[in-house]
Amino acid sequence: MTGPYGVGIGWRPEIAGFVAELPGLRFVEVVAESVPATGPLPPGLAQLRERALTVVPHGVRLSLGGAEPVDPARVAHLAAVAQRVDAPLVSEHIAFVRAGGLEAGHLLPLPRSREAVDAVCANVARAQADLPVPIALEPIAALVDWPDDELDEADFLTEILDRTGALLLLDVANVHANARNRGTDPLALLDRLPLERVGYVHVAGGAERGGFYHDTHTDPVPPAVLELVGALCARRRPPALLLERDGDYPPAAELRAELDALAAAANFPAVT
Amino acid sequence: MTGAPPPAGNGPRAAVDRAGDPTTGRLAQRQAELVAALVAGGPPPAGFAPGPLAATRAALLRKRAGEVARHWPLLAAGLGAGWPSTFADWAANRPTVGSLRDGWDLARALRERGALPPAGAEELVAREVVLRYDGRSTPRPRRLPAVARAGGAVAAQIAGRVRLLRPAPRPPAALPAGGDGVPDAAGSAAWISD
Repeated sequence: MTGPYGVGIGWRPEIAGFVAELPGLRFVEVVAESVPATGPLPPGLAQLRERALTVVPHGVRLSLGGAEPVDPARVAHLAAVAQRVDAPLVSEHIAFVRAGGLEAGHLLPLPRSREAVDAVCANVARAQADLPVPIALEPIAALVDWPDDELDEADFLTEILDRTGALLLLDVANVHANARNRGTDPLALLDRLPLERVGYVHVAGGAERGGFYHDTHTDPVPPAVLELVGALCARRRPPALLLERDGDYPPAAELRAELDALAAAANFPAVT
Repeated sequence: MTGAPPPAGNGPRAAVDRAGDPTTGRLAQRQAELVAALVAGGPPPAGFAPGPLAATRAALLRKRAGEVARHWPLLAAGLGAGWPSTFADWAANRPTVGSLRDGWDLARALRERGALPPAGAEELVAREVVLRYDGRSTPRPRRLPAVARAGGAVAAQIAGRVRLLRPAPRPPAALPAGGDGVPDAAGSAAWISD
């Protein structure tokens, strides 16, 4: 049960064969909701566990930022998956995904208000009470901002991390997306985040569409995001970086090249 | 991108009236208004800039279309380049009930309109014989044999084994030699089951 180290990739059934053949790979992330709490593990994932790769369960449906208390059954599932794969930590988002009985179907941003900080900290504390391992919290990419933010992004995130003691899952593509869409400086945000709290880093591709940069996870990683990885590592290199690809999978050679570029940007050994 | 003034007369009264409530009540209400505006055709919440709100709504529909396509690959492939817009038009004001049911509801809606592509019809009948879906709750496994028809496709399930008895007819150019060419009327699905 070693912490994530080096360059990893988000394990998805569609690319299980590709992932299984990466000789230098030491860690993957798996969407926690896609792993059953009992019964057999998804085939490719079981093989990785036999090779003692680190597997980090990544929750996407807890809605830790929801005003309502987090569903204990969802926390129990995340905890069970963490135990099944002998995970050193789990991760989730600073976001909400449902409200008023409706599923949004994606991660939605919180208002950067004291009230929202209280809500998310209360839910993280509820989750931590039932999780066997530490949790890392990921700030999301959002196209909308609430009209009445009281805190800026750095203060909002730092306060949540300070109050919960959680690790930071920093998504560099999200930092790029938010800065691009809000017209702010991504480096200024990196300068103010508690980088010593980073458990690991996400990197993903995206695309410009309709005047916005969309963090799609189905497009190549743009040069600007790779440059931001370099800028982050120049400040403080995180223990691990993980490539997220969720669809429109390219030929294996292209995916390998993206992993190599990531390793080069962070001066980690290539995993391909 | 923030700070657009609330549109006149469009402020959510309830949010104002509840300003003195415990904070969680207010946050819950405002989160519910945002989700409703994004997925259920609700009014735009006060103060949100319309451009980013519309971009978020479109992005959610694209993501949802991709997830439903993963559960209904033949339906999506059958609609080809028209899949994203067909899905988005249907789903715009329908909150998700999960990708399996979303695709199922859409396939049935297309069948009613006679717009279900052959591959989608075959996928639908294969699902219908395995699971019983009442359109309102989680589909459940059928315990008894079943036959389903849609768009000319016929599938049967006995003891859990599914067989496509007749493929849906393709347009003439693609019709294999010996196609029987007796399509069922769209929307004529009939059930022999529990």
